[in-house]
Amino acid sequence: MKDIVFDFPLFTIILPLLGAVICSVAGKKVSKYVYFAVSLICAALSVPVLLYTLENGYFTRAMGHFAAPFGNEIRVGTAEVLFTLLAVLLPALSVLGGKRRLMEDISEKKINFYFVMLCLLQSAITALAYTNDLFTAYVFIEISTLTSCGLLMIRQIGRTTVAAVRYMIFNLLGSGFVLMGICMLYDLTGYLSMSYIKEAVADIAATGKYTVPLTAAVGLIVIGIGMKSGMFPFHLWMPDTYSTSTTASACILSGLVSKGYIFLLIKIIYRVIGFDVMEGTGVPLVIFVFGLAGMIVGSLGAIRENEIRRMIAYSSAAQIGYIYMGIGIGGPAAQAAVAAAVFHIFTHALTKPLLFISASGLSQASGGEVKFAALQGSAHRNPIAGAAFTVGALSMVGMPGFAGFISKLLFAQAAVASDNRAIITLSVLAISTILNAIYFLRTTMRIYLPSAEPRQNTSVYKNGTAFVFACAVLTAFNVFLGMHSQPILDMINAGIETLA
Amino acid sequence: MSDLLLMLSAIAVPVVSGIAVGLIKMNAKAQKALVLSACALTAVITGVNAAADTGASHVVLSVVGPLELTLCTDGVSKIFSIIAVVMWLLAAVFSQSYMRHESKDTHPRYYAFLLVSLGMTLGMDFAGDMITAYLFYELITLTTFPLVLHSMRPEAIRAAKKYLFYSVAGGFMALFGIFFCYNNCSTLAFTAGGSLLPQGGTGIMLVAVFVAILGFGAKAGSYPLHGWLPTAHPEAPAPASALLSGVIAKAGVLAIIRIVFYVVGADLIAGTWVQYAWTGVALLTVFMGSMMAYREKLFKKRLAYSTVSQISYVLLGLSLLNFGGVTGALLHVIFHAVIKCGLFLVAGAIICKTGLTNIDDYTGIGKRMPVTLWCFTICSLALIGIPPLSGFVSKWYLASASLAEYPGALGWICVAVLLVSALLTAGYLLPVTVRGFFPGNDYKTGERCEADAYMLVPLIILAVAAALLGIFIPDQLRSLVYAIAGAVAL
Repeated sequence: MKDIVFDFPLFTIILPLLGAVICSVAGKKVSKYVYFAVSLICAALSVPVLLYTLENGYFTRAMGHFAAPFGNEIRVGTAEVLFTLLAVLLPALSVLGGKRRLMEDISEKKINFYFVMLCLLQSAITALAYTNDLFTAYVFIEISTLTSCGLLMIRQIGRTTVAAVRYMIFNLLGSGFVLMGICMLYDLTGYLSMSYIKEAVADIAATGKYTVPLTAAVGLIVIGIGMKSGMFPFHLWMPDTYSTSTTASACILSGLVSKGYIFLLIKIIYRVIGFDVMEGTGVPLVIFVFGLAGMIVGSLGAIRENEIRRMIAYSSAAQIGYIYMGIGIGGPAAQAAVAAAVFHIFTHALTKPLLFISASGLSQASGGEVKFAALQGSAHRNPIAGAAFTVGALSMVGMPGFAGFISKLLFAQAAVASDNRAIITLSVLAISTILNAIYFLRTTMRIYLPSAEPRQNTSVYKNGTAFVFACAVLTAFNVFLGMHSQPILDMINAGIETLA
Repeated sequence: MSDLLLMLSAIAVPVVSGIAVGLIKMNAKAQKALVLSACALTAVITGVNAAADTGASHVVLSVVGPLELTLCTDGVSKIFSIIAVVMWLLAAVFSQSYMRHESKDTHPRYYAFLLVSLGMTLGMDFAGDMITAYLFYELITLTTFPLVLHSMRPEAIRAAKKYLFYSVAGGFMALFGIFFCYNNCSTLAFTAGGSLLPQGGTGIMLVAVFVAILGFGAKAGSYPLHGWLPTAHPEAPAPASALLSGVIAKAGVLAIIRIVFYVVGADLIAGTWVQYAWTGVALLTVFMGSMMAYREKLFKKRLAYSTVSQISYVLLGLSLLNFGGVTGALLHVIFHAVIKCGLFLVAGAIICKTGLTNIDDYTGIGKRMPVTLWCFTICSLALIGIPPLSGFVSKWYLASASLAEYPGALGWICVAVLLVSALLTAGYLLPVTVRGFFPGNDYKTGERCEADAYMLVPLIILAVAAALLGIFIPDQLRSLVYAIAGAVAL
């Protein structure tokens, strides 16, 4: 009976696919219910798997008839299940929070397609987390690219289409680089199964041959994933994409999709290349430097913006920089730094949707305007959105008591413990934090100031229940992570240990 | 365990009642009753807590790894928490009259943030480790800046922004230092004398401590991050300015005391460039603050510049690192809180009753508000340091300690700066008294408009305290100060 737990991960991949099929023929209402049912069931299925992995470490499960090097398999550890939980719950919360905008932005007949895309995306991200096969990972990268483009394109206004085309180009280029990297690895090692590639790579590295092709393969994969997830200097697609799409899509794309690729990169670093070989190629240093640059450049971009959603989008570029910086620190503090990066994936995934949702609540209370001047005083017109935005902003700035502070604390601890990257990391961290403070606190203050010109409609905006629920849940997660993060951090650490 | 309950309730009572005042619609009577009783109850709880005297440290919540939220009442906590509750109670009483001339819709917001910031200040006072202290330090910033924003005029908005950015930038500079402490000290929990690891005394650690001192110094109005204080403090309603200058600015002092004496220990920086640079910064701020106050014409702004100068007296004392310096600093913390609250409340009373903000218009004010101006005069004399009033005692300690710490020229420079600054203090405070009581012959007597009882009671209490605390300092307080100085100073 206990063995059935081993099959749950597969169910969480298959079930959304099935849901997508039903949604494609169902009406607006039914498809919504199907999607939420699928999410809840997948979340419920993931909980026993999480408990199992916490107790027994990881397990593998062969997919299909043949065993590992030739057949396909999934491998499930604590980090993967945690990420899957995020992938299942976050889109559902985002859809709840962005529900009203969704109904306004999308034509009635196409709403079921939105849920089709959501189901497919959920399946793809889950598969990215679980698969132990590089080529399968590539297939699901493509599926998640196409579905996320769908989530973007479904709002059919000109600017969104332009943004979607740009998003598509960056993403397809990125996929191409990843594919080339995978091909080179296959050429070098003869395997596509992650664990087997690692053994072969270790052998090759020990002989000292083929260092250039190996570095090239790793570099191509990093560049590809960097493009898809918005690493500096490939972050320029972000502001348009996140600011023109419907709110729920912006939350999902920034909170989840880009993190799915980064999670895959972490998996590749630990499970495919091996951390020591990776350090030997020198690529982590590049990741580190681009991460640091992203932290500054993203924040500078956000300071210049005068639209709330573009500002939040630019801030994503900075936050992705934090994550890459953590991945690249390396040295003796490597594991602590990667744990900090994974923790920041969760922090950012829980904070950014909160910001996007509350920003949409604020602009809806201001007649749909997104410019700061029009948003002045909007927190009085929509107090719940104002409070939620404040929580999100304080967390992103790194005020103690919220999740963002713990992320920064973990990054700083890892940096101080690393050999020679303490000063540069801490300095950039401090500068970036102050830049964050400038634009987030400025905006928070602005929404609480009295409106510049008297408005006709001074009544308090009425939020939907779903909106309030999404804000409350995300806020609660944020404060919980900020005040009591040790359990999550323990899980992340355990997950990273079994990742290899 | 009971003392943990006391500390938690001292923090929770004002926070909960503040939220209640802010969110629940109530009439003016209920609001007044709630605000005053919350302050009084908090004061009683804090008093009982100070008397309980256990000094044990309690973990409230485990945050991450070895980092915990801990609360603990030691000597420093007692001094700072008692000052806070007394001043808050007096300011709350004063507000009852002062706020009548402000629009009614702003009252819930004002009282809500007033009460919540009391809770945050007490949290900072009771913090048992650096992370908890930092948490409450940032929360104090966030809950007091709406007080600066109060009037919502463009100048207030600019001032509040300035306050927020200086404080947050300072806070993050300090956090940078705390990260290094975390790695180089055995614990971030407060231990008298610090817990520096044997191999921790590196050059980079000195830099980190100095950056932390400058960062926390932002809240204390210390050079180079002092620019916000004279802009922001006068913008708040007068009772709130009194608290900002008298108590909340001391949160920066408390944070510096904690990180220097209770985390890294005075040994680390004694005799190094950090100590000299710190003394230099403090001297510069003392002189500059007095100078700017002397030139300023707006009454509240003049008092705010005076705060810049006076709080750096405290920092000067701390930078000496010796027994006399720390004693003088702690005494000056107490005296300055009493005096500056008194002065700002006087300013509030005058502005509230006459609407005059410029010192040049205060001619003959003593004829119209004699009791108020007498209170002002006593507080001014105490701040200048006329013996035997309170300011004299602390300044005496500071001067003799600086001579003891720096036998050469620097010691004499310290004394000279203290003297010049005292002269300037006289120069910027006494003209108000002189022209207020002796307006000259061509003055036409204005109508008498003495402040009412809600204003006068706190004023008289503060003036009497400012006059008498110097010589008749309670024995418990004296021994408490000596015990702290003995434990942490070199």
